[in-house]
Amino acid sequence: MNAPGEMKHQDFLRLFMACEPALRGFVRSLVPTLADSDDVMQEVAIVLWQKFGEYETAEDFRRWAFGVAKWKVLSWQRDRGRDRHVFGVETTELLAAESELASGRFELQREALRICLEKLREPERQLVDSAYGPESRIDQLASQIGMTAMALYKKLHRIRMLLVECTRRAILTKGAS
Amino acid sequence: MKNDPRLDWISEYVQGRADAEVTARLEQALREDPEFRALFLDYLSVDGALSAHAAYRPLPEADSSLGRAAHRQPSRPLPTPVWKGLAWAASIAVAGVIAWSAARERSPFARVHGSAGTDLNAGMPVRSERYCFEKGSVEFVTSKGARVVVEAPAEVRFESAECLRVFRGKVAADVPEGARGFTVLTPAGGAVDLGTRFGVDVPESGSPEVHVFEGEVIAQAKSATQKRSLRTGEATVFKSGVSESREIRSASFIQHDEVPELAAGLAAGQRAKSEAKLRSLRADPALVAALDFEEGEAFAGVYRMAQGRWPGSKAPEFVNQGDHLKVSAGEGREFTQLTLAAWVRIDRLGEPFQSLYHTDGWGPSSPGQVHWMITKATTMRLALYGNTQAPSSIDSVSPVLPERGRWVHLATVYDSSVGRMRFYLNGRFDNETRSAVSWPAKLGQAQIGNWNRHDRKLSGRVDELILLGRAMSDAEVWELFEAGNPYR
Repeated sequence: MNAPGEMKHQDFLRLFMACEPALRGFVRSLVPTLADSDDVMQEVAIVLWQKFGEYETAEDFRRWAFGVAKWKVLSWQRDRGRDRHVFGVETTELLAAESELASGRFELQREALRICLEKLREPERQLVDSAYGPESRIDQLASQIGMTAMALYKKLHRIRMLLVECTRRAILTKGAS
Repeated sequence: MKNDPRLDWISEYVQGRADAEVTARLEQALREDPEFRALFLDYLSVDGALSAHAAYRPLPEADSSLGRAAHRQPSRPLPTPVWKGLAWAASIAVAGVIAWSAARERSPFARVHGSAGTDLNAGMPVRSERYCFEKGSVEFVTSKGARVVVEAPAEVRFESAECLRVFRGKVAADVPEGARGFTVLTPAGGAVDLGTRFGVDVPESGSPEVHVFEGEVIAQAKSATQKRSLRTGEATVFKSGVSESREIRSASFIQHDEVPELAAGLAAGQRAKSEAKLRSLRADPALVAALDFEEGEAFAGVYRMAQGRWPGSKAPEFVNQGDHLKVSAGEGREFTQLTLAAWVRIDRLGEPFQSLYHTDGWGPSSPGQVHWMITKATTMRLALYGNTQAPSSIDSVSPVLPERGRWVHLATVYDSSVGRMRFYLNGRFDNETRSAVSWPAKLGQAQIGNWNRHDRKLSGRVDELILLGRAMSDAEVWELFEAGNPYR
């Protein structure tokens, strides 16, 4: 038999798992650098878990989670985003609403991404590995592989576009089947 | 869409390079065009997913790039099928776990609290790097407060603030209430602490062991279905996929209160003093043997080589029934006076005797053969065949083994011309005994850690064994201890 704490954690994971891809995409869309975006996402996860006891089961977890994420993004924009170029509150609200609505789709996208990554050519896959590796720096990576940083940015942009298109096709196919 | 200039804005935004003008244009486009907004969200979601996944993919189990020197090895991308199979499947299945774990990923799992002879500095944050130590010992304190001491040679990696993976080496954990559940994983099984203190030994060759000094630990061999509860004083060895009971070896593990004293000893230059003392002893014409086990002669026997008192130094370790090391010194000679001294780190056992030095030729045909040992009462005894002494009067008085594992210096000075034996613990005189008949000492073929005729198993390490064919004075024994003391 599971302990109450363990049950609570499992409940949390089940609910959180369902909307994590959309939450992450939403946070990423409003925080312009990956490292900051990961930090904000981590803070969101902490708050959700810490306050999970206060969460009313009748309430939609997704709505609650997006509320927390929005609040965290706005806090970040206020505290650390001053010297950066960030979107206004209205755009933040708009993106939050659409991300929340499309949560299911982002889950499908996460699944499709695995297949799409496998479809990439080996050098491209390795490039993604390296570029997204912990503590990776684009300028260093570019010089390691004999490219300019700008050329590497463009290449990664093309790869991301390929992955977006591929995942969109996969979601459509799944929806049709 | 491919030639849409707005895609460049997304690209710049994702890189964190968008200036005020690009950001404003992008924002306007997002507000005006739902299709573009959807694309933007898809793009950023892919970017976020790649980053999240990259941060949590596991390291390869075997990494041949590990060097031999102590170093930190940051997590690195895997060479190829990182996106395939388990890693990705796991990231999907436990997306919640990953994201939740992410909350803690940026915070260190532990910090270096202290170190003796490694290049890790106190306060250094520790995450999921793999650490390889060839010398010294280091204490980590996890973010939950568990104190973990790792002794070289060792390779370890924190998987989280609650879990340490040990590839090889000795680890002692002291787990307070707030860190209950701290887990140590070995290649053959794991141990979950239910409070409060335990040790895990993963030898270079041989089976991993779990020892419970105090409290309770749940141990489970990798392929076993049953978990096993171990309580104070109990130990298990993970052998062939199952866990078997074994005798506890608590002295094998350096515990957290010992690390600062070892570090202070090093800082005070004790190692150099010890080496200088050994050099001066080697110039003593009365020296029979000075065994520091560092280099040169390889000793026959069955034992493990562990770290001695100094970072990276060597000391034979006796672990299993029958373990022993053979030495040969002073063959065919008689010694009217003899000093025996050793640095040892030994368990308190219920065994009748633990052998420090036992000559093979013990018997009526060779009176004066020497047996130096630790008794069941943890006192020191020197027996010479044929000497007439009542058993109750031949031992040291003080227990010579501490409750918790520590290096201790033991010495016995024998003078057959006056029938006298003097015992010393950590340089201090402990007891003197007399005998009516006392033979000159005879040495020769001998064993450390056992005796060939009867099992006199020693459980622990012997770092430095001195056999000197004269009687050291009290002051000399004190100097020997002082110079070789690893603690300050």
